[in-house]
Amino acid sequence: MNEQAARHAANAGNAAGRSGAESDAFRVLVVDDDPDMAAFLARMLAQQGLKADIAVDGYAALATIAADPPDLVLLDVQMPGPDGFEICRRLKASELTALLPVVLVTALEDHESRVRGIEAGADDFLSKPVRREELIARVNTLRKLHETRKELEGRRLAAEVQEKESIRKAFSRYLSPRLAERVLRDSPQGSDVFRDLSQRALVVALFADLRGFTRLSETVPVSNIVPMLNEYFTVITAAVHANEGTVFSMAGDSMLVGFNVPVPQLDAAERALNTARTVIQSFAPVAARWKRDYGLSTGVGVGIESGEVVVGNVGAPSFTSYTIIGDSVNVAARLMQRAAPNEVLIGPRAALALGSRLSGGIGPMQRRSIELKGKSEAVEVISFRVAPAD
Amino acid sequence: MSESIIVTVARDLEDLVPTFMKNRGKELETLRNALAAGEFEQLRQIGHRMKGVGNSYGFEKVSLLGQSIEDRAKAADRAGLEAIIDEYIEYLARVKIVYE
Repeated sequence: MNEQAARHAANAGNAAGRSGAESDAFRVLVVDDDPDMAAFLARMLAQQGLKADIAVDGYAALATIAADPPDLVLLDVQMPGPDGFEICRRLKASELTALLPVVLVTALEDHESRVRGIEAGADDFLSKPVRREELIARVNTLRKLHETRKELEGRRLAAEVQEKESIRKAFSRYLSPRLAERVLRDSPQGSDVFRDLSQRALVVALFADLRGFTRLSETVPVSNIVPMLNEYFTVITAAVHANEGTVFSMAGDSMLVGFNVPVPQLDAAERALNTARTVIQSFAPVAARWKRDYGLSTGVGVGIESGEVVVGNVGAPSFTSYTIIGDSVNVAARLMQRAAPNEVLIGPRAALALGSRLSGGIGPMQRRSIELKGKSEAVEVISFRVAPAD
Repeated sequence: MSESIIVTVARDLEDLVPTFMKNRGKELETLRNALAAGEFEQLRQIGHRMKGVGNSYGFEKVSLLGQSIEDRAKAADRAGLEAIIDEYIEYLARVKIVYE
C-alpha cells in the first residue's frame, strides 16, 4: 500500500502519470461545432507545442473527456446538443473533472454569456474573433496554474506518504511490523489507534528479565555489555513480535510486553504463554555461548498476569511513552522477579484465562502460593520451567 | 467582374484556408436556403459563427458580414438580409488570398 502511494506521488508531477513521449505534452481539447474555428484553435495550440484534440459537439466533448481527460478545455458556447454552459456545469459538478480548467469562447460583446459562464464555473474566457496572442497568453497562464496545482498535489501526496511512514515508525517502536501494517491498513489515521486507547482495557502483561546477568556483567569487559544486551533484546523482541505482542518498555535487562492492546486479541493469554516459551527457548543458544565464553549461567525469567489496566501515552510533552499501568502489570513484574532462570510464573487471573490450555504440552506445572511485595495475601500462581530445547 | 479584394492570411494557416473557403461556399448556400425558408434563427446562428471565425483567419469582411446577418436576422429584415447575402456572394467571388 505504501509503495503504491509513493509511486502515485512520484507520478503526480508528470502529466497524470501517462508514459511515453507524448505524456509530457499539455493536452487541450478544443470543442467547437465550426470546423474552421476548431482547426484554427488547434493549429495555434500546436504551434505552442501543445497537443490539441477536437470535439465537434457537446456529446463528443463529454465522451472524450470521460475516456481520457485533457489538461484544459477550450469550449465554444453555442453548439447543438449540450451547449458550452451545460458542458462546463457538468464538468465542474463531477469530482473527477472539477479541477479541469475550462476556457469559454464567447463573442466579445456578449456580456450575458460571460455572466452565464461564470455561473457555470468557467475558469477563463476567450473572445471571438480569437486573437492568437490572447489565446496563447490565456492558455499559458492556465497551463502554469495547472502545473503548479499538479506539483502541489504531488507534494501533498508525498507528505501523506511521509506522515504514514512516521506513524509506522512510531508504531514499530511498540508493535510487531506485521501488526503495525495491519493497524495502518485498518485505520489510515493510524494515530487514532493510540489516542483512542487512553482508557481502561483488559490486557495480558508479560515481563521478561535476564537472570544472572548482573553477575555476568561484573566479569565481562565493559565494552561487551551493551552488545550482549542488544543481542538479548534482539532475540526476545523477535519472539514477542512473532506472537504479535506490543513492547511497552525495555529497561535494564527487562522488558514489558502487552497483549490485547492496542488491537484486540481473543487469544491474548495464549499468545503470552507462547511468547514466554519462545523467549526462553530462543535465548537458550545465546545463554549457552555466554556460559562457554564466560563460565556463568544466564536465563530468562518470565511473569505473566492479566487484568484491567490504563493504557495511554504518559509523560511530559517533550517525552511521552505508550504505557500500561495497573495492578496486573505490577503483579507480572513481581512474578518475574521471583521467577528462576527459564521459569515462567503465571498469576491467578492469567491462569484462569488460560484454563485448560495450561495443561496441554507445557510440561510439569506447579501450583504455588507465593508472597508478593505489596500484597497482603499470598498469591496462587502456576509455575513451570521451559527446557532450553523443548 | 470587378477587381480583386486582397486578404492577407498568416502563412501558418495556409493549408487550412482551402477548407475554410470551401466551407464559406457551403455557408452561402445554407444562407440562401434559410432566407428562402424564412429561417431567421438559423440565419442568426450562421451570422454569429461567421463573425467569430472570419477575423480569426484574417477575413475581416466575413466577420463584418456575419455581424450584419446576425443583426438583421434578429430584426427579421428579409430585404436587408438579401442585400448582405448578395454582398457576400460578390466578396467570395473577388477575394484573393496572399500569405505572409
